[in-house]
Amino acid sequence: MNEVEDAQLLERSRRGEESAFSELFRRYQAGIHRYAVHMCGASTGDDVVQETFLAVLRQRGRTDAPRQTVAGYLFGIARHIVLQRLGSRYEPLTESGDDDVSEVASGALTALEHLTRAETIAAVRAAVQSLPLVYREAVVLCDLQEMEYAAAAGVLQCPIGTVRSRLSRARALLVTKLGAVHATADARRQ
Amino acid sequence: MKESEGRPSLDTALRAMAEDEAQLGASAGIEARLLAEVRSIAAARRRRMAIAACAAAAVVLFALWIGSQRFLPSRSSEARVAEVTTDFLPLAYSSVPSTSLQVVRLAVPRTALVSFGLTPPEPLDRTFTDTVLADVLVGDDGLARAVRFVRPAADQEQMP
Repeated sequence: MNEVEDAQLLERSRRGEESAFSELFRRYQAGIHRYAVHMCGASTGDDVVQETFLAVLRQRGRTDAPRQTVAGYLFGIARHIVLQRLGSRYEPLTESGDDDVSEVASGALTALEHLTRAETIAAVRAAVQSLPLVYREAVVLCDLQEMEYAAAAGVLQCPIGTVRSRLSRARALLVTKLGAVHATADARRQ
Repeated sequence: MKESEGRPSLDTALRAMAEDEAQLGASAGIEARLLAEVRSIAAARRRRMAIAACAAAAVVLFALWIGSQRFLPSRSSEARVAEVTTDFLPLAYSSVPSTSLQVVRLAVPRTALVSFGLTPPEPLDRTFTDTVLADVLVGDDGLARAVRFVRPAADQEQMP
Protein backbone atom coordinates (compact mmCIF):
# COMPACT_ATOMS: atom_id res chain seq x y z
CA MET A 1 0.00 0.00 0.00
CA ASN A 2 1.13 3.54 -0.67
CA GLU A 3 2.69 4.79 2.54
CA VAL A 4 2.22 8.47 1.69
CA GLU A 5 -1.43 7.86 1.04
CA ASP A 6 -1.75 5.92 4.30
CA ALA A 7 -0.18 8.79 6.20
CA GLN A 8 -2.58 11.24 4.56
CA LEU A 9 -5.53 9.03 5.42
CA LEU A 10 -4.34 8.92 9.01
CA GLU A 11 -3.98 12.69 9.20
CA ARG A 12 -7.37 13.33 7.57
CA SER A 13 -9.02 10.77 9.87
CA ARG A 14 -7.73 12.67 12.87
CA ARG A 15 -9.29 15.83 11.44
CA GLY A 16 -12.65 14.08 11.40
CA GLU A 17 -12.96 13.16 7.70
CA GLU A 18 -15.28 10.17 7.53
CA SER A 19 -14.25 9.00 4.06
CA ALA A 20 -10.57 8.97 5.01
CA PHE A 21 -11.27 7.07 8.18
CA SER A 22 -13.42 4.52 6.38
CA GLU A 23 -10.64 3.85 3.90
CA LEU A 24 -8.00 3.54 6.64
CA PHE A 25 -10.31 1.22 8.58
CA ARG A 26 -11.01 -0.86 5.48
CA ARG A 27 -7.30 -1.33 4.86
CA TYR A 28 -6.22 -2.38 8.33
CA GLN A 29 -9.13 -3.63 10.41
CA ALA A 30 -9.00 -7.21 9.20
CA GLY A 31 -5.28 -7.61 9.86
CA ILE A 32 -5.56 -6.13 13.33
CA HIS A 33 -8.61 -8.30 14.01
CA ARG A 34 -6.75 -11.46 12.99
CA TYR A 35 -3.71 -10.49 15.05
CA ALA A 36 -5.90 -9.96 18.12
CA VAL A 37 -7.79 -13.22 17.60
CA HIS A 38 -4.58 -15.22 17.28
CA MET A 39 -3.07 -13.60 20.34
CA CYS A 40 -6.04 -13.29 22.72
CA GLY A 41 -8.86 -15.40 21.33
CA ALA A 42 -11.83 -14.96 19.03
CA SER A 43 -13.88 -12.91 21.48
CA THR A 44 -11.35 -10.08 21.61
CA GLY A 45 -11.02 -9.25 17.92
CA ASP A 46 -13.74 -6.61 17.75
CA ASP A 47 -12.68 -4.96 20.99
CA VAL A 48 -9.05 -4.68 20.00
CA VAL A 49 -9.95 -3.24 16.60
CA GLN A 50 -12.26 -0.70 18.19
CA GLU A 51 -9.78 0.32 20.88
CA THR A 52 -6.96 0.59 18.33
CA PHE A 53 -8.83 2.95 16.05
CA LEU A 54 -10.25 4.93 18.95
CA ALA A 55 -6.70 5.44 20.18
CA VAL A 56 -5.75 6.69 16.72
CA LEU A 57 -8.65 9.16 16.68
CA ARG A 58 -8.00 10.35 20.21
CA GLN A 59 -4.44 11.20 19.30
CA ARG A 60 -5.84 13.83 16.97
CA GLY A 61 -3.77 16.52 18.63
CA ARG A 62 -0.68 14.86 17.23
CA THR A 63 0.71 16.69 14.23
CA ASP A 64 3.81 14.58 13.78
CA ALA A 65 3.68 11.62 11.45
CA PRO A 66 4.27 8.23 13.03
CA ARG A 67 7.96 7.36 12.97
CA GLN A 68 7.23 3.97 11.46
CA THR A 69 4.86 2.95 8.71
CA VAL A 70 1.16 3.48 9.31
CA ALA A 71 0.73 -0.30 9.38
CA GLY A 72 3.48 -0.59 11.99
CA TYR A 73 1.97 2.28 13.94
CA LEU A 74 -1.51 0.71 13.98
CA PHE A 75 -0.22 -2.76 14.85
CA GLY A 76 1.93 -1.19 17.55
CA ILE A 77 -1.18 0.29 19.18
CA ALA A 78 -3.04 -3.00 18.74
CA ARG A 79 -0.15 -4.88 20.31
CA HIS A 80 -0.13 -2.54 23.29
CA ILE A 81 -3.83 -3.29 23.83
CA VAL A 82 -3.27 -7.02 23.33
CA LEU A 83 -0.42 -7.08 25.85
CA GLN A 84 -2.58 -5.25 28.38
CA ARG A 85 -5.19 -7.97 27.98
CA LEU A 86 -2.67 -10.79 28.15
CA GLY A 87 -0.99 -9.37 31.23
CA SER A 88 1.42 -11.83 32.77
CA ARG A 89 0.50 -14.51 30.24
CA TYR A 90 2.84 -12.77 27.79
CA GLU A 91 6.29 -13.43 29.11
CA PRO A 92 9.25 -12.83 26.84
CA LEU A 93 11.29 -16.02 26.64
CA THR A 94 15.00 -16.18 27.14
CA GLU A 95 16.36 -16.01 23.63
CA SER A 96 19.90 -16.82 22.64
CA GLY A 97 21.38 -15.56 19.41
CA ASP A 98 19.93 -15.70 15.95
CA ASP A 99 20.30 -19.39 15.28
CA ASP A 100 18.43 -19.93 12.08
CA VAL A 101 16.57 -23.20 11.73
CA SER A 102 14.32 -21.97 8.93
CA GLU A 103 15.77 -24.49 6.47
CA VAL A 104 14.44 -27.27 8.61
CA ALA A 105 11.21 -25.47 9.30
CA SER A 106 10.32 -24.60 5.73
CA GLY A 107 11.04 -28.06 4.40
CA ALA A 108 8.40 -30.51 3.25
CA LEU A 109 5.95 -31.71 5.82
CA THR A 110 5.04 -35.32 5.34
CA ALA A 111 2.57 -34.81 8.15
CA LEU A 112 0.37 -32.73 5.85
CA GLU A 113 0.77 -34.95 2.82
CA HIS A 114 -2.45 -36.91 3.22
CA LEU A 115 -4.58 -34.16 4.65
CA THR A 116 -7.21 -32.18 2.78
CA ARG A 117 -6.82 -28.41 2.59
CA ALA A 118 -9.36 -27.94 5.38
CA GLU A 119 -7.58 -30.49 7.57
CA THR A 120 -4.24 -28.88 6.84
CA ILE A 121 -5.56 -25.46 7.83
CA ALA A 122 -7.10 -26.85 11.01
CA ALA A 123 -3.88 -28.63 11.92
CA VAL A 124 -1.72 -25.58 11.26
CA ARG A 125 -4.13 -23.32 13.14
CA ALA A 126 -4.04 -25.60 16.16
CA ALA A 127 -0.26 -25.74 15.99
CA VAL A 128 0.02 -21.95 15.76
CA GLN A 129 -2.35 -21.56 18.72
CA SER A 130 -0.22 -23.90 20.80
CA LEU A 131 2.94 -21.84 20.26
CA PRO A 132 4.24 -19.71 23.11
CA LEU A 133 2.88 -16.18 22.65
CA VAL A 134 6.24 -14.66 21.77
CA TYR A 135 6.72 -17.09 18.90
CA ARG A 136 3.08 -17.05 17.88
CA GLU A 137 3.26 -13.28 17.53
CA ALA A 138 6.20 -13.53 15.13
CA VAL A 139 4.39 -16.10 12.99
CA VAL A 140 1.18 -14.07 12.95
CA LEU A 141 2.89 -10.85 11.93
CA CYS A 142 5.48 -12.19 9.49
CA ASP A 143 3.85 -15.30 8.02
CA LEU A 144 0.13 -14.65 8.28
CA GLN A 145 0.14 -10.85 7.89
CA GLU A 146 3.17 -10.96 5.58
CA MET A 147 4.74 -8.04 7.39
CA GLU A 148 8.36 -7.32 6.55
CA TYR A 149 10.90 -8.16 9.24
CA ALA A 150 11.82 -4.50 9.72
CA ALA A 151 8.19 -3.51 10.19
CA ALA A 152 7.61 -6.45 12.53
CA ALA A 153 10.67 -5.43 14.53
CA GLY A 154 9.14 -1.96 14.86
CA VAL A 155 5.89 -3.40 16.13
CA LEU A 156 7.59 -5.85 18.48
CA GLN A 157 10.12 -3.21 19.57
CA CYS A 158 13.05 -5.52 19.14
CA PRO A 159 15.96 -5.89 16.69
CA ILE A 160 15.34 -7.53 13.32
CA GLY A 161 17.63 -10.36 14.36
CA THR A 162 15.32 -11.16 17.24
CA VAL A 163 12.36 -11.28 14.87
CA ARG A 164 14.24 -13.71 12.62
CA SER A 165 15.27 -15.81 15.60
CA ARG A 166 11.75 -16.00 16.99
CA LEU A 167 10.35 -16.85 13.59
CA SER A 168 12.89 -19.63 13.08
CA ARG A 169 12.17 -21.15 16.46
CA ALA A 170 8.45 -20.80 15.88
CA ARG A 171 8.67 -22.58 12.57
CA ALA A 172 10.77 -25.37 14.02
CA LEU A 173 8.18 -25.79 16.77
CA LEU A 174 5.39 -25.84 14.20
CA VAL A 175 7.10 -28.58 12.21
CA THR A 176 7.52 -30.61 15.39
CA LYS A 177 3.92 -30.08 16.45
CA LEU A 178 2.56 -30.91 13.02
CA GLY A 179 4.68 -34.09 12.99
CA ALA A 180 3.11 -35.06 16.30
CA VAL A 181 -0.35 -34.44 14.85
CA HIS A 182 0.50 -36.77 11.98
CA ALA A 183 1.80 -39.46 14.32
CA THR A 184 -1.36 -39.26 16.42
CA ALA A 185 -3.54 -39.51 13.31
CA ASP A 186 -1.57 -42.55 12.10
CA ALA A 187 -1.93 -44.25 15.46
CA ARG A 188 -5.70 -43.70 15.35
CA ARG A 189 -5.93 -45.20 11.86
CA GLN A 190 -4.07 -48.34 12.99
CA MET B 1 6.12 -21.09 -2.44
CA LYS B 2 8.30 -23.91 -1.30
CA GLU B 3 7.30 -27.44 -2.13
CA SER B 4 9.50 -30.48 -1.83
CA GLU B 5 8.71 -33.51 -3.94
CA GLY B 6 5.06 -32.55 -4.12
CA ARG B 7 4.70 -32.45 -0.37
CA PRO B 8 3.20 -29.37 1.27
CA SER B 9 5.70 -27.10 3.00
CA LEU B 10 5.14 -25.13 6.17
CA ASP B 11 5.07 -21.96 4.06
CA THR B 12 2.31 -23.42 1.91
CA ALA B 13 0.34 -24.52 4.94
CA LEU B 14 0.68 -21.12 6.59
CA ARG B 15 -0.32 -19.42 3.37
CA ALA B 16 -3.39 -21.62 3.12
CA MET B 17 -4.29 -20.65 6.66
CA ALA B 18 -3.80 -16.95 5.87
CA GLU B 19 -6.00 -17.25 2.78
CA ASP B 20 -8.64 -19.03 4.82
CA GLU B 21 -8.70 -16.16 7.29
CA ALA B 22 -8.52 -13.40 4.70
CA GLN B 23 -12.23 -12.68 4.88
CA LEU B 24 -12.35 -12.44 8.65
CA GLY B 25 -12.55 -9.03 10.21
CA ALA B 26 -14.29 -6.79 12.66
CA SER B 27 -18.08 -6.83 12.73
CA ALA B 28 -19.96 -4.09 10.91
CA GLY B 29 -21.08 -2.42 14.13
CA ILE B 30 -17.49 -1.53 15.00
CA GLU B 31 -17.05 0.69 11.98
CA ALA B 32 -20.39 2.37 12.68
CA ARG B 33 -19.36 3.13 16.27
CA LEU B 34 -16.00 4.46 15.15
CA LEU B 35 -17.60 6.61 12.46
CA ALA B 36 -19.78 8.16 15.15
CA GLU B 37 -16.58 9.09 16.97
CA VAL B 38 -15.19 10.59 13.75
CA ARG B 39 -18.38 12.65 13.38
CA SER B 40 -18.06 13.92 16.93
CA ILE B 41 -14.48 14.93 16.20
CA ALA B 42 -15.62 16.81 13.11
CA ALA B 43 -18.37 18.54 15.10
CA ALA B 44 -15.93 19.52 17.83
CA ARG B 45 -13.57 20.85 15.18
CA ARG B 46 -16.36 22.96 13.68
CA ARG B 47 -17.24 24.27 17.14
CA ARG B 48 -13.63 25.23 17.76
CA MET B 49 -13.48 27.03 14.43
CA ALA B 50 -16.75 28.84 15.17
CA ILE B 51 -15.44 29.95 18.55
CA ALA B 52 -12.26 31.20 16.93
CA ALA B 53 -14.31 33.02 14.31
CA CYS B 54 -16.51 34.49 17.02
CA ALA B 55 -13.46 35.74 18.83
CA ALA B 56 -12.21 37.34 15.64
CA ALA B 57 -15.63 38.87 15.01
CA ALA B 58 -15.67 40.19 18.54
CA VAL B 59 -12.41 41.95 17.86
CA VAL B 60 -13.89 43.54 14.74
CA LEU B 61 -16.98 44.63 16.59
CA PHE B 62 -14.91 45.93 19.44
CA ALA B 63 -12.97 48.05 17.01
CA LEU B 64 -16.27 49.44 15.73
CA TRP B 65 -17.56 49.97 19.21
CA ILE B 66 -14.71 51.78 20.83
CA GLY B 67 -15.88 54.22 23.35
CA SER B 68 -19.47 53.05 23.29
CA GLN B 69 -21.12 50.84 25.88
CA ARG B 70 -24.75 51.46 25.08
CA PHE B 71 -26.69 48.50 23.78
CA LEU B 72 -29.91 49.66 22.27
CA PRO B 73 -32.79 47.23 21.77
CA SER B 74 -34.09 46.81 18.26
CA ARG B 75 -36.81 49.20 17.40
CA SER B 76 -40.14 48.31 15.94
CA SER B 77 -40.52 48.35 12.20
CA GLU B 78 -42.72 51.44 12.40
CA ALA B 79 -40.00 53.34 14.15
CA ARG B 80 -37.49 52.35 11.52
CA VAL B 81 -39.58 53.75 8.73
CA ALA B 82 -38.38 57.19 9.63
CA GLU B 83 -34.72 56.32 9.42
CA VAL B 84 -32.11 56.72 6.75
CA THR B 85 -29.81 53.74 6.43
CA THR B 86 -26.89 52.72 4.32
CA ASP B 87 -26.93 49.37 2.58
CA PHE B 88 -25.67 46.46 4.62
CA LEU B 89 -21.90 46.45 4.29
CA PRO B 90 -20.24 43.00 4.45
CA LEU B 91 -17.95 42.16 7.35
CA ALA B 92 -15.17 39.58 7.51
CA TYR B 93 -17.51 36.60 7.98
CA SER B 94 -20.15 37.61 5.46
CA SER B 95 -19.47 34.49 3.38
CA VAL B 96 -20.03 32.04 6.27
CA PRO B 97 -23.46 30.40 5.80
CA SER B 98 -26.02 30.86 8.54
CA THR B 99 -29.50 29.43 8.98
CA SER B 100 -30.88 32.54 10.65
CA LEU B 101 -29.81 36.14 11.14
CA GLN B 102 -30.66 38.72 13.75
CA VAL B 103 -30.26 42.44 13.65
CA VAL B 104 -28.58 43.95 16.67
CA ARG B 105 -28.53 47.70 17.00
CA LEU B 106 -25.45 49.29 18.45
CA ALA B 107 -24.16 52.78 19.03
CA VAL B 108 -20.70 52.98 17.47
CA PRO B 109 -18.20 55.83 17.25
CA ARG B 110 -18.53 58.11 14.24
CA THR B 111 -15.03 57.10 13.22
CA ALA B 112 -16.41 53.65 12.38
CA LEU B 113 -18.04 55.24 9.34
CA VAL B 114 -14.69 56.35 8.05
CA SER B 115 -13.36 52.79 8.22
CA PHE B 116 -16.07 51.90 5.68
CA GLY B 117 -15.23 54.85 3.47
CA LEU B 118 -18.29 56.86 4.57
CA THR B 119 -18.36 60.47 5.56
CA PRO B 120 -19.74 61.08 9.06
CA PRO B 121 -22.90 63.17 8.83
CA GLU B 122 -23.51 66.31 10.79
CA PRO B 123 -24.85 65.33 14.21
CA LEU B 124 -28.62 65.20 14.31
CA ASP B 125 -29.00 63.12 17.40
CA ARG B 126 -28.82 65.43 20.34
CA THR B 127 -28.16 62.72 22.83
CA PHE B 128 -25.24 60.90 21.22
CA THR B 129 -23.27 63.44 19.32
CA ASP B 130 -20.11 61.31 19.31
CA THR B 131 -21.74 58.09 18.12
CA VAL B 132 -23.85 56.83 15.27
CA LEU B 133 -26.32 53.97 15.21
CA ALA B 134 -25.47 50.74 13.42
CA ASP B 135 -27.50 47.60 12.73
CA VAL B 136 -25.28 44.52 12.84
CA LEU B 137 -26.46 41.30 11.16
CA VAL B 138 -25.46 38.45 13.45
CA GLY B 139 -25.82 34.76 12.50
CA ASP B 140 -27.03 31.98 14.79
CA ASP B 141 -23.36 31.09 15.30
CA GLY B 142 -22.66 34.53 16.77
CA LEU B 143 -20.64 35.74 13.78
CA ALA B 144 -21.29 39.26 12.50
CA ARG B 145 -22.04 39.13 8.76
CA ALA B 146 -22.76 42.75 7.86
CA VAL B 147 -23.34 46.19 9.26
CA ARG B 148 -25.38 49.16 8.15
CA PHE B 149 -25.34 52.64 9.57
CA VAL B 150 -28.54 54.30 10.66
CA ARG B 151 -29.37 57.94 10.77
CA PRO B 152 -32.65 59.06 12.29
CA ALA B 153 -34.61 61.13 9.80
CA ALA B 154 -35.04 64.80 10.52
CA ASP B 155 -38.69 64.41 11.45
CA GLN B 156 -37.74 61.75 13.98
CA GLU B 157 -35.79 64.37 15.83
CA GLN B 158 -39.04 65.88 16.89
CA MET B 159 -40.38 62.66 18.31
CA PRO B 160 -40.22 62.16 22.06
